[in-house]
Amino acid sequence: MSASPLIEIKDLRIRFHGDDGRVTHAVDGVDLSVANGATLGLVGESGCGKSVTSLAIMGLLPKQSAEISGAIRFDGFDLLKTPDQTLRDLRGNRLAMIFQEPMTSLNPSFTIGDQIVETILRHRGGSRRSARERAIELLRRVHIPSPERRIDEYPHKLSGGMRQRVMIAMALACDPRLLIADEPTTALDVTLQAQILELMRELKAASGAAIILITHDLGVVAEVCDEVAVMYAGEIVERAPVDELFAMPQHPYTVGLLGSIPRLDHRAEQLATIEGMVPNMAQPPAGCRFSARCPFVLDDCTKAPPPLVEVSPGHLSRCIRAPLELLVS
Amino acid sequence: MTALLEVEGLVKHFVAGRSLFGRALGHVKAVDGVSFSLDAGKTLALVGESGCGKSTVSRLVLRLIEPDAGTVRFAGRDLLSLDAGALRAFRREAQIIFQDPYASLNPRMTVGQILTEPLALHDLVPPPQRRERVAEILRLVGLEPRLERRYPHEFSGGQRQRIAIARALAVEPKLIICDEPVSALDVSIRSQILNLLRELQDRLGLAYIFVSHDLAVVKHIADHVAVMNLGQIVETAEADALFAAPRHPYSRALLSAIPMPKPRAKRSRIVLQGEIPSALSPPPGCRFHTRCPYVVDRCRSEMPQLVPDGIGHATACHRTSELPSSAAIVPSDGGFSPVLEKLVAAFSGGPEAVRGSGVSSLGTDPA
Repeated sequence: MSASPLIEIKDLRIRFHGDDGRVTHAVDGVDLSVANGATLGLVGESGCGKSVTSLAIMGLLPKQSAEISGAIRFDGFDLLKTPDQTLRDLRGNRLAMIFQEPMTSLNPSFTIGDQIVETILRHRGGSRRSARERAIELLRRVHIPSPERRIDEYPHKLSGGMRQRVMIAMALACDPRLLIADEPTTALDVTLQAQILELMRELKAASGAAIILITHDLGVVAEVCDEVAVMYAGEIVERAPVDELFAMPQHPYTVGLLGSIPRLDHRAEQLATIEGMVPNMAQPPAGCRFSARCPFVLDDCTKAPPPLVEVSPGHLSRCIRAPLELLVS
Repeated sequence: MTALLEVEGLVKHFVAGRSLFGRALGHVKAVDGVSFSLDAGKTLALVGESGCGKSTVSRLVLRLIEPDAGTVRFAGRDLLSLDAGALRAFRREAQIIFQDPYASLNPRMTVGQILTEPLALHDLVPPPQRRERVAEILRLVGLEPRLERRYPHEFSGGQRQRIAIARALAVEPKLIICDEPVSALDVSIRSQILNLLRELQDRLGLAYIFVSHDLAVVKHIADHVAVMNLGQIVETAEADALFAAPRHPYSRALLSAIPMPKPRAKRSRIVLQGEIPSALSPPPGCRFHTRCPYVVDRCRSEMPQLVPDGIGHATACHRTSELPSSAAIVPSDGGFSPVLEKLVAAFSGGPEAVRGSGVSSLGTDPA
């Protein structure tokens, strides 16, 4: 992991300017990096900025309303300063993304074959025939049965799990170095989710691509990620190798999240709840953004924004009360 | 004591398409011979994948749709023989809350109006006292009475689900059907609603039918579980028994598919291959045989019956007695380390945390 990272995000800030003049700080000073072949889980609840971060990497945020600063270094480029033409060459090629709802990301009026072939021809060129062969090969790699036949079907003929496989096949069409998966299994049944997660693990092992997996499901994170970053209100509040995060979380928000999920392997009479609401991101609070909901809050928490500091090697927390084990011993 | 709800041999086939002359071209066998019973104050969970018929069962129980065959008895009365007036009276006793609380609340009505309507409809509370009753119901679900003047769009998802629960409670029902009530909510909000549902059950003696695809949630809330596959119950048992030792290969696959928030958890996993067969033409024999890792010839031709074992656990599988042990499917070695356990307890139980129990503020929007 000591080699230079594949992607490095430095001090990423994203603000949205609303029609009414209000400015929302969607992402506020995010630093992230992912090494070649590693999987990073980006976790948080609705509105924490995890999807916006990934759209910024892909260069898919609306230019009129989104004000972006910082740097996203990928493969020798700063993606925030890269001209659109170059970005288009990167997207679908070395950078690929899969979304939660495969039906809305597939074009209903073209066959799945057309859509995969288009990607291959755009980035790799070559003959339509060889592109089609590669498309069939890709469909086979994501375990779609009888791909020679399926390739000529329209998206509506496929089930949800199949569509997500097609999306993955399309994302893999040009052997991306980085794959961003935004809630790839949230819309699927658990049995299909298990299939897709298995597939992602398998493909990662085979291709060596790095993955950023965006999810709200800590179970999914535990299964496929090497490292986790927890986001809250536009900031990363905790970052750690996956084993450490689940063994001993160092931010109260993470503790609350872990305590609030019903578990198969543990019976709790009462689940933990995180009281209150996410702060209004048009006027973020002066101190720690979680302070209003935090049961461990001190006066100092509300005075200045806490820095992200290393609690143990590789384990960072944005909480002045970390290490948290001291609170209960 | 007789059960609050007894369902026997329920069948519902939907017509999938009609020919030019109106002849049915095919039937979706949404529910195909489902029986169960539910005692007052208890929770029965119906679980299974999309399209297994769990939501259809919940609607049949309320007679929101009419079954093709079977009986539903509620507190001893045969629901299917009720006339319109008696059916309306029955609606007072059984309510439903849905997955998407926004779609189930009228955006043009204030919360107060939404909650007053059932009171007026069933003439439960005389008009002068309705306001007081609305305030009481709102407090019951952890919302402040002053919020009654607001509209649904002014609330967060979790608060809207509280309003939907409040509306169900307004008529003082004995049974509430919860159809995926927390699936659309964020994890931290989800736990609030689950805690609320349990608290209300203890306090008001409600019975729940909890429809869900999330088995971890079901384990937390249910007393009894029925696992459904393609319109049929394949296994039913006390929740503790089912989660400790699932018997049907389908239940095992469902349980083993749930990702656990514990890296490197030691467990065996059954990843089902292939797709869920269509309910339009379910496979012959056992409806699970196309995906079952333990399939034998008999499964392809002969449909297994739901066989009770005498201590409340019934399984519909020819090979129940021959299957390998289910020990590694749901590891029970406890979730947290002792330190983390204490920390989580401190998080939810600390004096500060109690301060704002329920939902006290409506966002922090200055508007």
